[in-house]
Order: sequence, then structure tokens, then C-alpha cells
Amino acid sequence: MANAHDTGHQGGHDREGNYGHISVRTYWVVFGALMALMVLTVAAWYTQKHFVHLPEIVAVGIAVSIAIAKTTLIIYFFMHVKVSSKLTQIFAVSAFVWLMILFVIVMGDYMARGWPPAKGPLSQVPVPISAAL
Amino acid sequence: MSTTALINHYATNRATTASAWLKSWLLTVDHKRIAILYLISINVFFLLGGLAASIVRLELVTPQGDLMSADMYNRMFTLHGVIMVFFFLIPGIPSVLGNFLIPLMIGARDLAFPKLNLLSWYLYMGGGLFALCAAVFGGVDTGWTFYTPFSTSYSNSNVVLTIAGAFVMGFSSILTGLNFIITIHKMRAPGLTWFRLPLFIWAHYATSLIQILATPVVAIALLLVLVERVWHIGVFDPAIGGDPVLYQHLFWFYSHPAVYIMILPAMGVISELIATFSRRRIFGYEFVAFSSIAIAILGFLVWGHHMYVSSQSVYSGLVFGFITMLVAIPSAIKVFNWTATLYKGSISYRTPMLYALGFIGLFIIGGLTGIFLSVVAVDIHVTDTYFVVAHFHYVMVGGTMMAYLGGIHYWWPKMTGRMYNEAWGTISALVVFVGFNLTFFPQFIMGYLGMPRRYHVYPQEFQIYHVMSTAGSTILGIGFVIPLVYLLLSLRYGRLAGDDPWDAPGLEWRTSSPPPTFNFETQPIVTEEAYAFQPEAAHL
Ligand code: HEM
Ligand SMILES: [Cu+2]
Repeated sequence: MANAHDTGHQGGHDREGNYGHISVRTYWVVFGALMALMVLTVAAWYTQKHFVHLPEIVAVGIAVSIAIAKTTLIIYFFMHVKVSSKLTQIFAVSAFVWLMILFVIVMGDYMARGWPPAKGPLSQVPVPISAAL
Repeated sequence: MSTTALINHYATNRATTASAWLKSWLLTVDHKRIAILYLISINVFFLLGGLAASIVRLELVTPQGDLMSADMYNRMFTLHGVIMVFFFLIPGIPSVLGNFLIPLMIGARDLAFPKLNLLSWYLYMGGGLFALCAAVFGGVDTGWTFYTPFSTSYSNSNVVLTIAGAFVMGFSSILTGLNFIITIHKMRAPGLTWFRLPLFIWAHYATSLIQILATPVVAIALLLVLVERVWHIGVFDPAIGGDPVLYQHLFWFYSHPAVYIMILPAMGVISELIATFSRRRIFGYEFVAFSSIAIAILGFLVWGHHMYVSSQSVYSGLVFGFITMLVAIPSAIKVFNWTATLYKGSISYRTPMLYALGFIGLFIIGGLTGIFLSVVAVDIHVTDTYFVVAHFHYVMVGGTMMAYLGGIHYWWPKMTGRMYNEAWGTISALVVFVGFNLTFFPQFIMGYLGMPRRYHVYPQEFQIYHVMSTAGSTILGIGFVIPLVYLLLSLRYGRLAGDDPWDAPGLEWRTSSPPPTFNFETQPIVTEEAYAFQPEAAHL
């Protein structure tokens, strides 16, 4: 399986798993995009502070989305995931899938607390024995 | 094999001066020598951890605190837990047996990154040094789990040093996992397809996945503990705006998968032992292979079963409990398939096989009591009692420790070229088994009756169980010392083992014992399944 895959790519490149080449032009375009996103981050903060007051969750959502876009660009182009083997790409993505498992389940716990309002014998406020008698 | 191979084998001391000899070991990039370095250092840590355990058990003989103060007792069981978990159980089988055997079993010259492998050992030693310094300068009293806010705001012990040790050792673990994954993907011998791999390799592959996916999370969680402890930035302590349960989430997101870092390689060892000593291909090979991967993945979804009483939402608790029961399925698949392999096998009760059979029995008890604990209502009754202590010792000592010992015996002739004394081997396996059960079975009973863990003063009624347990641990300790003695003696007096003392089919037996520096004289080519034992191969 993997053996056939390896031999198919031998010869051309000196480094295993590095199947392609990213042009300098692409690097500059990505760099430009990163700078633009940075400006956007600052602009978003400025708008939030001086013009429209968005609820915190929306504001944070916007900031995090921009950050994710930047991260993706860096990993995909600068860290050569774009031109790596399928296997490398799977491993790169799985790290984030696992991070999502952590976030989703932990947030699930936080959101499910006290939901519905606690009822039942174990959740009642303890009564002093003298009062209960 | 030929004498030339013997002269060139990895253990040969070609150095002429003492310092050159030392250098040839401390700067080696040979996976086999690095495995030996690990073997020595991990056993030293095991002995230290064992010493701490003996002191804990000695204190518990009487219901009063007569040997040490409560504070000292806390430090002692923490020392035991930290050393055993982070410096013995987690690195144990992968770093010693995995390191030595993975390249041999797949017909490669070495691991993919030999220097990284050496770096892993130095990180392990560095982490160990931090932890030992912490112990020498007064110890830690948080338990191996470092629960917040006690660890960040209240403990007056060496939390920072110990956590630094666990943190550094985590990198050793990540690098080892990375090395194994790439080696297994890229360096298999021609013809060695995935479904021809020994199950030991599958198990280590699954383990490595956990190591690279989970360890970074605990590294960050521990770093946050340091940040809060040193700079009082509120992360986990509610008094300064943090959330202590968040720490438990982050910690167990790693530490439950970490119990599979301990047990999966052990299961890989057991598959090899069972196959060789019943001379049969493992029944349902594909199922056993994929159950390792299933355990690795499902193991990430169950961490909340350590948090039933933590103020985690009851709904989360129920879901975690349900998924926890699901993990038992792939574990059971393995046990059933090993048992089916034994059926109509030609079984020989050599020392490694005794350890393997012991493993199966003890792991069943440990696993089944795990299912009791996954039920929220039962767990609330027995959590933080000796029932839990008994559960995890059955899986960690009864499982991982038995497999480690069985594996060391099985591959000892390959690692050293010498056979150990079989009679003493048999005796030690039996002594370990008896001592183990006497130590830990009474703990189920007293735990169920209400004996809490981590207390050294306890009601009179539990004394009988504690005395049994301490007596058992003495026997267990003797069971560990016996192999230490005869294995070391075998280095000088043992008879030469030959290349393939067990008449086993794996690639590691197709080279000299010990193997030459680059493992094989010629590149092996694989043309058959794993575990192709002669009688079976004949009528295929
Ligand atoms: C067969 C599957 C298993 C199940 C269903 C299971 C279930 C559980 C549960 C529910 C707990 C929490 C008990 C409590 O704190 O109240 C627990 C604790 C524990 N288990 Fe398991 N377990 C399994 C296998 C293992 C294995 C294979 C290991 C290690 C090799 C292990 C090691 C531990 C440890 C160390 C703890 C206690 C941690 C602490 O609080 O210090 N378990 N287990
Ligand atoms: Cu767990």
C-alpha cells in the first residue's frame, strides 16, 4: 500500500513527502493577505470601541474567525501543508479535529450545568435534623 | 549466527578507554542502545517508586499515624504516583521494548530519527531529574493529579519543580510517538504490508497517536498551573476568577488517554507472547489490530468519568458513562481473541507465557471493575475509595507491569544474547501473581466498605485488609527483586541463546542475538503473514 505510494514519488525530490513547490509570488500574496487580515483585526476592534457596540459573543466571534483565517493561511502555505503528502495533511487536520473534541465536549458540560433546574431528593437543600423531625 | 555478526553487534565494546566507552553509550544513536539506556533508567525509577510504595504500605499497617505525619504521608503517596505514572508506566514499554523492537520487527536499520530518539531519552532524564529534585527538596503533596486550586494557591510543597518534570518528560513522550509513527509508515521492509505487521506494531502505532494528540494538552494545562501559581493569574482558582473544574477537564483529556498509553503497548506485547507460546496466529488478527485504533479514538471521549463528583453537569456525566462502557468493547475483543487463540494451540508454559496468562486474568478483573465505576450511581458510592485504587492497580500493575515483565523475559535473549534461568523465571512469575492479588484484592473490599484513599489514619475495622495488603506487597516486592537478580546473573552465566530461542516467526528473530548495529546483514523481504508458525504454514 504505502510502498507503492513511496516508489511513485521517488527521484524527483530530495525530501520525502515534499511533493511540490510554492512560488515566491504565492508567499508574497499570502503575506499580503496576512497583513490585510491584521488591519481587519484592528479595524474590527476600532469599530467595536468607537461606533457599534456588538454583544461580546459576536465581537469575540469575529476576532476569533479572523485569527483562524490567519492560522489557516500560515499552516497551509508557509508550513507547506499544501504541497505535502495526503498523510501529512491528514495528520495536520486531525490535530484540529481533536482540539474541537476538547472544546465541544467541555463547552457541552458548561452549557448543560443546572439544566433543567435541579430537582429531586439529592438536590434539595439539606434541612437541619431538628427542623425535619 | 556467524562469529562476525557477534563481533559487530551493538553491545560490543569497541572503545578502549573508559571515557570513550561512556561516550559510546551516552552519545549513541542506535535504537537498541537507547532502549538499553531506557531499560536501566526506567528500572531505577521503578525501584524508587516501589520504595515510596513500600513506605506507604508500611505506614498503613496500623490505623494510627505512627511512622510519619499526615503531611509526610501526602508527599509519600504523591512521590509514588508521580514516579510510577510519569516515569515508569507511560514511557515504560514503548521506550524500552518499542524502541528496541520496532525497527527489528519491520526490518529497518533504525528508527526514522535516531538523534531525536536520543533527545527523547535526555528529555526523559531531565524531567526525571526535576522530579527527583522536587522530592529531595521536600516533596510534593498534591497527588499525581495536581488538582487545582490546591496545587496553584494552597500547597506549600514543590509543585513547580514536579510539574516542570512532568512537562519536560511529556516532550520525550511526544517525540517518541512521532518517531514511531513515521518509522512505521515509511520504513517497513519490502512486502511488509499493514496487515502483515505484528500486532505489537499496531499497538504501538495506536499508542503513538495518543501520545502526539493528547500530550500537548496536558503540557498546556500544567503550564497554566505554573502561570497561576507563580504569577497569580486567575485560570483555575475561583478566588481569582478561575474555574477549578476546567483544570480537571484539561487534565483528564490527557490522563484518561494516558491510561491507554500504558495499556495498549502492553496488549501488543501480550499478542506476541500468546501467539508464540500457543504456536498459532492470533485469532481474528484484523479485529485485534483495529481494536487498538478503536481504543485510541474512543479513549478520547470518556475523560469525564473521572469527574462525576466534580460539579460537572449530570448530563455530561451520563454521556461520559455511556461512552466509557463502549470502550470496554474493543478491550473485550482483545481478551476474547487471545482466549480463542489459546484454544487448540500447543501451549507451553514458559515464563513469558505465565506473565501473559496472568495479564489476561488480572486485566479482566481490572476492566470489569472499570465498568462498575463507569456507572454514575455506583461511582458516587466508591469514588475516592480504595475500590478505585484497586481498579487501577489491577489494570496498571496487573496489566502493564505483567506485560512489561513478560516482554522483558521474552526478548531478553534477543537483547542480551543470553538465556535466563527458566526455573527461577517460573518461580518469580508465580510469586508476582500471588503477591499482586494479595496486595490489591483486599482493597476492593475495604474500598467498597468505605475506606477512603489518601488517608493514613483510618477506622480500626479496616486494619485487617490493610495488613493483608501490606503482606501481599512484601511478596510482590520479592517477586520483583528475584528477576532483577537472575536476569543480571544471566548476563554472565546464562547460556547463549542463539538467534531464535523460541522458534518464533517474527523478523526480530531472523538476525543474530544481540543484533548487529544495523540490525540485518541483508535487507529482509517479507512474503508471508505475521505469526506464520510452521505447522500452520505447512497445511496452508
Ligand atoms: C476497561 C476499561 C476501563 C474502564 C471502563 C475504566 C473506568 C474507570 C473509571 C470510571 C474511573 C474513575 C473512578 C473514580 O475516580 O471514581 C477509573 C479510574 C482510573 N482508571 Fe480506569 N477504566 C478502564 C481501564 C483502565 C486502564 C486500562 C487503566 C490503566 C492502565 C486505568 C487506570 C485508571 C486510573 C489510574 C484511575 C484513577 C485515576 C485517579 O483518580 O488517580 N483504567 N477508571
Ligand atoms: Cu479514565
